[in-house]
Order: sequence, then C-alpha cells, then structure tokens
Amino acid sequence: MGKKMNFRIMKLIICFFMLPVLSGCLGARQINDLEIVIGMGVDKEEESGNVLLTAQVVKVDMSGGGAANARGGGGEDSEGYWNVSSKGKSIFEAVRQITHKTGNRLFISHNQAVIFGNDVATEGLQAYIDFFLRAHEMRPTALILVSEKKASEVLDAKPETEKYPAMNIAKLVKTYGFTSHFYEVNMEDFASCMMSDTMAPLAPLVSIVQENDCKEIYISGMAAFKNGKMVGTLNHDEARGVLWVLGKVKSGVIIVPSPNKQGEAILEIIKAKSKVKPGIKDGKIVMHIEIKNEVSLSEQTTTEKLATIEALEKIQEATSEVIRQEVMAAFEKSKDLKADIFGFGEMLHKKYSKEWKSIKDNWDEIYPTIELNIDIESKIIKTDLLKKPVSQNKEEK
Amino acid sequence: MKIIRYFSLRNKYMNQAEPDEKDSEPISPDLEKNLEVIKGILHESSDVTIHEFNFGPERKYKGALIFINSITDKEEIHKNILQPLMYDVLLLSNNMDMDFTDIDTIRMNLISMTDNLKVTMLNDLLDSLLAGAAILLINGSREALAIKSIKIKSRSIEEPGTEAVVRGPREGFVENINENIALIRRKIKDTDLCVEKFVIGEKSKTDVCIVYLKSVANPKVVEEIRTRLKRIKTESILESGYIEQFIDDNPYSVFPTVSNSEKPDKVTAKILEGRVAVLVDGTPFVLVVPMVFIESFQSVEDYYARPFFASVIRLIRFMSFIISTLGPAIYVALTVFHQELIPTRLLISIAEGRERVPFPAIMEAFLMLFAFDLLREAGVRLPKPVGQTVGIVGAIVLGEASVQAGLISPIMVIVVSATAIASFAVPAQTDSGTLLRYLYLTLAGIAGGFGIILGLLATLMHLASLRSFGTPYLWPVVPLDLTGLKDVFIRMPIWTISKRPSAITRHDSDPYKQSPDLMPSPYKNDSDDSR
Amino acid sequence: MSIEKGKISSQQLLFLIAGFVHGSVLLIDFTVGITEHQTWMVILAGLVITVPVIVSYVALAKRFPGMNLVQINDMVYGRFLGKIISIYYIFFFMMTLSFNIRDVGELYITFLMQDTPFIFLLIVFTATCAFAVAKGVEVLARTSHLFVVTGLFAIISTFILLIDQMDFSNFLPLFELPFIKIFQGIHIVSVIPFGETVVFLMIMGCLNKTEHAVKNTLSGLLVGAVSLFIVAIRNTAVLGRTQTIWTSASFQSIRLINIGTVLTRMDFLIGIAQTILMFLKCSIFLYVTVVAISQLFGLKSYLPLVLPLAGIEVILAATVFQSPVDHATITQNAGIIYSVPLIFVFPPLSLLIAKIRGLPKPERGKGT
Repeated sequence: MGKKMNFRIMKLIICFFMLPVLSGCLGARQINDLEIVIGMGVDKEEESGNVLLTAQVVKVDMSGGGAANARGGGGEDSEGYWNVSSKGKSIFEAVRQITHKTGNRLFISHNQAVIFGNDVATEGLQAYIDFFLRAHEMRPTALILVSEKKASEVLDAKPETEKYPAMNIAKLVKTYGFTSHFYEVNMEDFASCMMSDTMAPLAPLVSIVQENDCKEIYISGMAAFKNGKMVGTLNHDEARGVLWVLGKVKSGVIIVPSPNKQGEAILEIIKAKSKVKPGIKDGKIVMHIEIKNEVSLSEQTTTEKLATIEALEKIQEATSEVIRQEVMAAFEKSKDLKADIFGFGEMLHKKYSKEWKSIKDNWDEIYPTIELNIDIESKIIKTDLLKKPVSQNKEEK
Repeated sequence: MKIIRYFSLRNKYMNQAEPDEKDSEPISPDLEKNLEVIKGILHESSDVTIHEFNFGPERKYKGALIFINSITDKEEIHKNILQPLMYDVLLLSNNMDMDFTDIDTIRMNLISMTDNLKVTMLNDLLDSLLAGAAILLINGSREALAIKSIKIKSRSIEEPGTEAVVRGPREGFVENINENIALIRRKIKDTDLCVEKFVIGEKSKTDVCIVYLKSVANPKVVEEIRTRLKRIKTESILESGYIEQFIDDNPYSVFPTVSNSEKPDKVTAKILEGRVAVLVDGTPFVLVVPMVFIESFQSVEDYYARPFFASVIRLIRFMSFIISTLGPAIYVALTVFHQELIPTRLLISIAEGRERVPFPAIMEAFLMLFAFDLLREAGVRLPKPVGQTVGIVGAIVLGEASVQAGLISPIMVIVVSATAIASFAVPAQTDSGTLLRYLYLTLAGIAGGFGIILGLLATLMHLASLRSFGTPYLWPVVPLDLTGLKDVFIRMPIWTISKRPSAITRHDSDPYKQSPDLMPSPYKNDSDDSR
Repeated sequence: MSIEKGKISSQQLLFLIAGFVHGSVLLIDFTVGITEHQTWMVILAGLVITVPVIVSYVALAKRFPGMNLVQINDMVYGRFLGKIISIYYIFFFMMTLSFNIRDVGELYITFLMQDTPFIFLLIVFTATCAFAVAKGVEVLARTSHLFVVTGLFAIISTFILLIDQMDFSNFLPLFELPFIKIFQGIHIVSVIPFGETVVFLMIMGCLNKTEHAVKNTLSGLLVGAVSLFIVAIRNTAVLGRTQTIWTSASFQSIRLINIGTVLTRMDFLIGIAQTILMFLKCSIFLYVTVVAISQLFGLKSYLPLVLPLAGIEVILAATVFQSPVDHATITQNAGIIYSVPLIFVFPPLSLLIAKIRGLPKPERGKGT
C-alpha cells in the first residue's frame, strides 16, 4: 500500500506541473499587447483596386500613474488615438498587414463603428462585409455607416467634446432619436436585410463639413442599397418618412404653418406608433399604413393665440399633412431608386405566403404599382409653459 | 519526500506490538517504603509536599499526606483533611473500636471533602497526585485515599477576542474545563444534557468531555465520536485543534468538517440542534460536530437581530466569500483572456493604469496576494504598541508607493484590498478561502474563464461528496431540504423556524421545537376607545 | 450483483434528466439550418414523439428493479445476443460522449477562447468529469438541481433582456417549409436531445423508490424541452432571417444584448451556463459508459476504469472529426441513423419480450 500510494502521488504531482507547460498560457494576451480598435474605415485604393483599411486605435498614455498626470503636463496636444492604415486585397489581409505598422494584433471587439467609403459602397458591399460578420471578435452590435466621400477622412475629424472620433460617430448615430432624421443600423440588422430577397438595407450617411481648417462631421441622411450596392441617398425628410412607416420615430421637430398663415407653429414629437397592413385588392397591392402620434407645441412665431381647440385641431391636421408629405416623398424616392426600403415585400411574404411565391420574381416591376393608403392621426397633448404667446394686449377675439 | 516517508513509517508503526503498560505495583502497607518509592519516581520535585503526621486516639496511627502544592488548595487540605484527622478524631474517641488503618472508616467518618477515590495501584496514585489530588497514606493500609483538591488560577470570563459581537452575551469560554461546562449548564437546565469524560494523552492526560442532549442528538454520531476519541493514542493534547485533526472526516480536504467556537451561546445553540460539543481542558475553543458548510456563514448575531437586516447581512457575507475567493481570479481572467467582456472605457482606463508595469497580470496578482498574506501574518505577531504604525506603513508602502513606482497597477491594488477585506467576513473559512484563492488564481492564469468554471465545478463536486460524521456537507442545499433552507441564504423570522434541522437530529424524536403558529400579532382589545 | 451502491431519489432523477436535455441546447443549431423559423414546431413534435418511447424506458426499468441496461439485455435476450446488443450500446455511448466533449471544445475554440490549444481544453474538461464520476452517481444526482436552476435562470434572464429586440412577426409565415425538411428536423430533434435519454436506463437501476418514476421522468423531460423551446423562440424572434447563417444562433442573439451601458457582452455568461450543463451531460455519459463496460466484463467496481476511459475519450474527441463542418455533416446524416435502433427499437422490444416471456422470473431457491 505504501509504495503504490507513493507512486500515485508522484504521478499526480508531475501531471499537475506539466499542465501549465502544455497550455503555454497560449490564450493569454496582456492588455498592453493589444491594439484596441474603436473604429474602422474601408476604402478603395484608386491605383490598384485594393482595399484601404483605416483602423482607429486607442493610444494609451505613456506616462502611466493615472490619467491625471498625462493631461496636466505638456503643451503638445496629445491625441488619444492613432489612425493606422494598410492595404490588402481583402479586408482580413489588410487587417493582418496592419501589424507591419503596429507590431501588435488588432483587437476589434470594441469596434464601435465600421464606415464604408463611397466608392466601396457603390461597388457593392457583398465582397467586404463577410469579414465583419464572420470574425469572432467582432460584435454584431457594431454600427455600420457610409461616408459621403472617403472613410479615412471621417475618422480623421477630431471632435471637440469627445476624445475619440469613432466614439463620437457612434454617439451621433445612437442619439438619432432627437431628430429622427436617420436611424442606427448595426451589423446584424444590415446582414438581415441583405439576406432578404426584396428588402433594401439602409445605412446612415456621414458627411464632412469643412469650416476654417476645422473638420466637423455630421450625419446627412441615409444611403439605400440594393443587392449590396449603394443606389442612392435619402435626405433627412425622406429618411424620416421611412421612419414614420416603420414606427421608429422617437422625437423630432415638425414645422407647420399656423392657422391664419401669419407664421409657424413648431411642434415636438413626443411619441409615434405605426401599423402597416398589407392587402391585395383586385390584383393590386395596397398597403394600409396607420400612423398615430402625439406632439406638443414647443414654439410659435406668431402672436395668435393657438391654445384653443379649433386652432389646435387645425394644427393637428397640418401636422398630419406634413407627415403624409414626408412619407410620400420617401416612397417616391424609393420608387426612383427601385429599392424596397420600407420592407413591404417581407410584410407581404409573411401574410400572403402563397401569392408571394409568384410575386417575388417580378418584385421590381410590381413595387412601383403599390398603392399607399395612409391614415394619420396626430394629437397635441401639451403646450409647455406658455398658455398665450408674449404679445401686447390687443383686442382678443 | 516526507509524505512518502510518512506512509512507510505508518505501516511500520501499526505492525508493532502495543507498548507495555507501565509497571504497576500495589501500594505496600509500609508507609516509609511508599514514601521512598514515590519520592524516587517524582525525582524529588520541590513542589511536592510530603507531610507526615500522627493521628488517632492516643496518637498511635501514622499517616502521610502528599500533594503538589502548586496546583492544590492548601487551605482546603488543612481545614478539611488535616484538621479532622488531627483534632476532630478526639470527638470520635467514644468508638474506640474503629479501625483507623482502614481507609474506608476514615473516608466515611472523618474526611469532609467530596470527590475522593480509593487507590490501590501505584500508578493510579501518581495519576491522581499529578491531577491535583491530595493523597492520604496510612501506615498499615494497602489502600490510599486520593482526595481531589485542585485549585488553579485561570483567566476570568471575558469577551472572546476572535468573536466579538455587537449584540449578545459577551462571555467566552476559559481554559478550565469545569468552568466551561458550568457556562453550558447555565444555559441548558435540562435533565437530558449528558456530559461524558475522557482522558486523552499519555503525558498530558488532558480532560476531554463531550456534551450533548440525549433526546435530540443522533446516537450514531455520539457513538462515532466516542469511538474516534478512544482511538487517539498520542502523547499530549495541548489544544482542541489536536483533537480536531484526529477526528476529522476527510483530512486531505481543504474545508473543515469540525467547527469550533469560543462563545457559550453559540455552542449551546448547536447542542440544542442535536450536535455534540467536545470540550478540551486547557483551551477556550470548543469543538462542535457535525459541521455543515452553511454554518460558516451563520453568526449568532443573526438570530438576535431582526430578520430583514439579518438576511441582508447574511447575503453580504455570501457575496464577500465569493469576492474573497474569486476576486483576483476573475480580474486576471478578464484582463488577460477575455478583454472583450470589459466595457470599452473601462478597458482603456485599465490599459492606462497598466502601462508601466513590467510584470504580466498573473505575477502581479500573486505578488500582491503574497504581500497581503505576509502583512496579515506579521500583524498578528506584532506587539500592540507597534501594530498601528506598521499597519499604516504597510498600506502606504504597498499601496501608494508601489503604484507610483510603476510596480503594480492601481486596479490591482483595489482588487486585492477588496479581496483582503472580504476574506475576514467569514471567519470559519479563512484558511480554506486563502488556499482556494491561490488555486483559482492559478487556474485563471492558465485557462482563463474556462479554468475558473472547471475549478468551481470540481470544488462543488468535492464539497457535495464530503460528509461530516454522516451529514452531507452541503446540506440543506445539495440534498435539497426546503425547511432547512429557511435559514441558509436569508434568515426567516424566528417564529417560522419551528423544526430542528433534519439531517442532524435523531430521526425518531419529535422534529418540532416550538409551536408553528407563533407569529406575533398586535394587541387586540375589544373596545375601540384608543382611536 | 450491482456495481453501483448508491441510491438516488426520483426527484433527483427529474433534475438529472432536465439538466441532461438542457445541456443539448446548443445542438439545436443543427436543426436551425434546416428548419429555420419553424424550429419551435419541430421541438414540440419531437417531444410528443419521444414521450411514449421514454415511458417504455421507465416501464422497462420498473420491471427489472435495481438492474441496469446491460443486465436487462442479458436477461431478455440471453447471454450471447444480450452481450452483442450491449456492445452496440457501449459503442453508441462512447461515440456520443466523444462528440459531446468535442462540442465543448469547439464552443470555446470558436467563440470564447480562440488561442488555447484544443487538446488542452479537452483534457482539462474530461479530467473534471472523471473526478466527478469517481465520486459516484449520488454526488452528481445531489448537485443536479443546482445546475438545472442555473441553466434555467440563464435562459429566462436572457429571454427577458432581449424582449425589446424581439420581433414576433419573424415566425410568420407559419407553414412555409416543405414537409420533408420538417420531417428531417423532427428526426434530428427526437434523436439528439430527447433520444439520448436512453442512457438513463443505466441509472434508473439506482432508484430507491420507483412509484413516481414515470411522473418524474416525464416532468424532467418537459422541463428540458421547455428550455429548448424558449431558446428556439428567442433565437427566431431576435435574429429572424439571419439565424441560419451563424454558426451558433444562441451566441449571436446573446451578443445583441445591450441595455444601458452595463449589461452588454453577456455571451460569456451563456458560455458558463452551457459549460456547466455540458459538464453534467458528459459526466453522466462517462459514468454510464464506465458502468456498462464494467458490467459487461463482470468487474466488482467501476473505479479503475474511469481514468483510462477518460483518456481514450479525449483522444477520440480530438481526432474523430476534422472541423465543425465535419461534425455537423456526419452527425446529421450518419449519427442519427445508427442511433435510431438503440433509441426507438430495442427498449420497447425488450419490454415486449419481457412481457411475453414473463420476465423477470424469480429464481428458484435464491432471492432476487
């Protein structure tokens, strides 16, 4: 018993010590060996047709001992980030080529946004998007954007209130609710739309405004894709039209002329809901869209008293009219682009699956013949702090 | 390899014959000869007093009194043994036919002390002498009388140092076993309380008592303890820790299966649940078996405070145990293997903090944990005046200065400090917690999150298979017992806990310890005049 | 007579079965590629089909109390044929165990810890399973309810956290796919998560009271099926069309959780829950294999076989497939075919033969 016990214990001890050697701690990556990527941009290089990949990498302050020391010292305007770029025939090759410049592997789990340049988008994203879906480090919650010109320029624009441009861009997109002139699209949504036979994906469009040596970026609308290729853009109002139909409007501003045409009433959107019901009538496709929203009177430029029931009703009608115009504008644009940006095809598919089989092959011809039956109901629910506008005390009617 | 040598020695020792009993002679009738022998055996120690005297009618009987004056009560001996023998015997002079060489006569009629014992063998005499008895030898008698008259100065009852409470009795056990039994007796005034005494240890002959409630304790457990205690054959038992290691169920396990305590109310509460307490003379720490894992998280104060607060505190204790064992491991696993799980801005701050550190994260963690254990150990041994200073120096040096010098990152300091503080919240598991902490840290360093999960699973399997004197160690969580769960994660109000823990008490007794419908209700009176 | 001396209660059997079925949650990704948004129907149908078969298992176990599958085979089919059938079962156990261990390795290699060497993960995982099995089936049974509660908590909490991203119109149209695909899906589902419970025929011999065995087994199966159902619904509702392209739809849907800035990046938690449940499943498999082999060879105790068998399984798991693609193809096409007789044919057949022959006969002169 004694000898057997000795041997068993020695074997266990040897095995235990072999374990760390076997694994070699191979999966371990110390934090400072990582290049934390927070934004990526994909462009096409003119001469060779290769992919130009720009990665925005976090630069960690070298002085250590906490951030307080770093910011205090030095007159040099130290940026916290570094835009490193490389070329390659495909995105994954370009990613690995970056190690020629950085020495560490890129760590793309914290990627906030991927920006595709205009040239890449018009050529077709099909060839470029696979890496971002397949890479296990990449998260499907990363945002996707299209730049009006080149993606690397967008990543260069230094924001004033935010340390990193990529985070700034992500913030801009995520706060779409304030104006509802575009909406945030992440990788998962985009891929889902691309998989559909009929639906046209949308992505926010980023533009750069140059003002006295100071580049500022802003989101100027949305880009529409068909079969992976960018076919056109939607401006703010058209994009909002899409959002009204999809029910994604959170808040925003609507300007309507006041009842006696002397000025304007400006309304803030509080809540909006929509319901879309597809229908087939006499061989024609009809979409019944019902939009309900609640607004509040936030500003008026005339002196008339708008806080009466009649005036409010007139304003409500005017609001509905504005919304209708936005939706029709969006629909017209989509007919021009021949892109089903509302997702009507999928809605038909879900309800009329038998008819869908015959319809979907001719979708491009059938789409412009769709009839929209829009029913909008707006309600003004409050007028903020003023009951009457500031004006001299004239004869009140 | 010492451990291998241990096994071979053990086999050799077990096959040896039992050592012979010490030569045991009977006492001879000749007083002088006895005294010579005894003096010789005791090597003429200076604290052994041998007093020869004459007594009896006409002073014709010779006797001798032997006692060790450092441990006996001289006043008692003088008043109650010498005085009756030397003076009061005159009162009995009427009965001249009393035979004063007969120890029984003297014992029944003259000695006014209780707790006396007739001895005929020399080694019994010496045992009693060394245990604090006064030995009365009479010329011409083959028997001697050992009269117990022990008086030892011991510590007064004061608050135990290791288990201070905010609310509750501030008594603690002392080193004297009789006083300890007295403290328990004061709280349980029931006829079923049994006290059984054993004497363990060849040279120390320590008194060891087990205390239990016969109507509630499981007889199999009691029998098992008796067997295990009788099996111990060692030279000395200096502390209850020795007994604990001899009666342990699973000596190779990290987790203790025998609990100990210094507070009488805690031990009494456990006895009332059906456990058995083992008291050891010379130490205030009383062992209680069987032990389940959950007990380490229960403190007596929980039962004196009101239920909601007590439940919250208990949950905090669980959380702190988890933090103290898994804290550094999770930090290392996250920052080394799974950086994608940390929010982006936090990751950037951590990276900034770690910029100048030359070590990999695991080494940093090991160094800090080791430094902390060093500090703790040094802190226990420090003399009181120096303690405060060294504590501050340790904190400042190891914390601030190391961060400034770029040896460790600030977040590591926070993690290790949190671990350290949390490790003291669960006192019974500090030793196992320390070992587990190192184990999980190693696993995290090798295999990241995967290693931690497997370590946790292996620990869980090990805990689930442990038994403490027949009770599953993770009762009532693992063999799921819903009534037992009332007292585990939260403490339900005291009037809902009406049954005793079923795994510990005997199965044929009434499980209810109080009536189930004792919920307090507001005072109801018939007339509504107080509105 | 019996190798396993421990006894388990039927409530513990409930949790064992629930945890076992739940451990196969990630395996329904096999069917998602085929049945897309109708996976939930397939799961329900699979459950309904497998219930009578499982009732027959329990009836068989009740008829031969205290005996495990190998002993039952011996009694029903006679010495020679019974041993052949037991060898077939043992082959099934060993192969499925290696597939499952490989699955755990692939889970980590693909999603969570990419750079660690594959074989290292397998060794460490199997070592822990071997440790648990060496402690005995009682310990596993006792701790099973903890695992089930953890798994259920993980699933329900991720479901709740994803509610705002769910789009229930993804389930329409309801009956789009051709029936052949649904049939294939039902076949897969009834074999892999539900049919593997045939291993419990080895464990049911350890029940100490068989009165409520049927009720508890079916409840356990139901609990496991409910968790699979919730997962299928969650994946379809959240991912919609894209669930067919991801390697593991469950992981991707969890990666989408984004509440506040705090509750993001929860995929590791699912990894933890899944590892724990796969641990339970692999430990049960390992235990069953070890006991079956020891019973076949008439050994007195199964402990010496645990470590060698674990070693064999690790090697098997590391070498049996080349890549997850291989794994998926072979399991979907071949693995199911050879499992069908073992799951659907042999136990009811044994029950029938036992009824006809009036087994078990009490032996004359000896106690049972």
